[in-house]
Amino acid sequence: MVKKTLFVTCGATVPFPQLINCILSPEFTNRLIRMEFKRLIIQFGKGYEEGFTKQLKSLGRLFPKESPVQASDYGTPKITGYTLLNDGNFEIFGFPFSSNIQECIERDATLVISHAGTGSILDSLRLKKPLIICVNDTLMDNHQEQIAIKFESMGYVWSCKPKIEELLGCLSKYQTETPKLFPNAHNEEFSNFLKNRAYN
Amino acid sequence: MDIFYLTSAILLILTAYIFRFISILPFYRTHPNDRILTAHKGTNGPLHIFVFLGSGGHTGEMLRILQNYKETLLNQDNVLYVGYSDIDSRNKFSKLLQSACKVEYIEFKKAREVNSGLLASLKSIFLTLMTSLLNVIRIRKSIAFKPHLILLNGPGTCCILVLWFKLLEWILLFSSSSNIIYIESLARINSLSLTGKIVYWMADEFIVQWKELELSCAPRAKYFGILT
Repeated sequence: MVKKTLFVTCGATVPFPQLINCILSPEFTNRLIRMEFKRLIIQFGKGYEEGFTKQLKSLGRLFPKESPVQASDYGTPKITGYTLLNDGNFEIFGFPFSSNIQECIERDATLVISHAGTGSILDSLRLKKPLIICVNDTLMDNHQEQIAIKFESMGYVWSCKPKIEELLGCLSKYQTETPKLFPNAHNEEFSNFLKNRAYN
Repeated sequence: MDIFYLTSAILLILTAYIFRFISILPFYRTHPNDRILTAHKGTNGPLHIFVFLGSGGHTGEMLRILQNYKETLLNQDNVLYVGYSDIDSRNKFSKLLQSACKVEYIEFKKAREVNSGLLASLKSIFLTLMTSLLNVIRIRKSIAFKPHLILLNGPGTCCILVLWFKLLEWILLFSSSSNIIYIESLARINSLSLTGKIVYWMADEFIVQWKELELSCAPRAKYFGILT
């Protein structure tokens, strides 16, 4: 049986502590448990193990365990902070980055929360997974916010800032709204265009 | 009399180069109905493709495009020339490639910011320019007069590559078109990237992934939806 899973991805390069803070807050995790999620997986970014472990500990009520999850299944060197929550039927673990994040999302995710990088957004949308985009507003790059607003206005995703109430709001939308289906990648016109250019 | 012939010859060659210059500019080429597959007028045979993996997000988007259009781009009869400047991009490409098509990897050196002064920096930039020119000549020789495409999507190095490809196309009067297709990043919604702004004047085809970009700042651009 597939466990109902929230998959959080922060991108490989820049950690996103504000997002992880919100996700690992009692309000947010309690809400996940009420929504019958059984698992929370967090890809937190290269070099952020310590920060992640600290944030996880501050959540309290944890029952850390030897990880039954294989690091190789996630294309990563190490699974960090495997733990059970509350009465033990909710599991949390993280890893820094993955060499096959698409496979992980396809296999595990019921819902994805992603930073606003185009690569991460497309990973989920192409796999037809419901997606919440969280914009890192401390970055200088304002493309991320534009991208998030654009995708949301097209009805493909829900977008928010790294604030607990906004993330909870997106969870409510996920429960009540159905996002528009993202079109397939393959486009016959572009394929024809490439052939015409090459052969004429 | 000799002077007369000599001047005529020079004038003739000059005119030829001026016409050639105008004719290779993308603005004077029109391709109506290129969204419908037209009969192949040119040469047939395997497709030769040069792609440049510009590292990071650029590599990511390019690999997505190759994957999404693999029936055309990664067909097993194709010959691929893969330009890269970081080993990570090269590894990601070889992981993605599952068909049997022939691949040649070509390393492009990055211009390094040298702290040891202006002279050293200039030397490094000059060396980068020259090695990329040699690479471009080699690629051009391999793909000329065969069905071919050049796919680029940034970053800055692409400006240099486009410039070299178009210069060669100009100098070699009767050579085939470079068929450079530049695809602007998906992250660009309201304005072109600096690379995009420069390449816009030279690339044979300029593709954007948002309709509003075509309308607002790149009237010549083509829009096919999100390709990545």
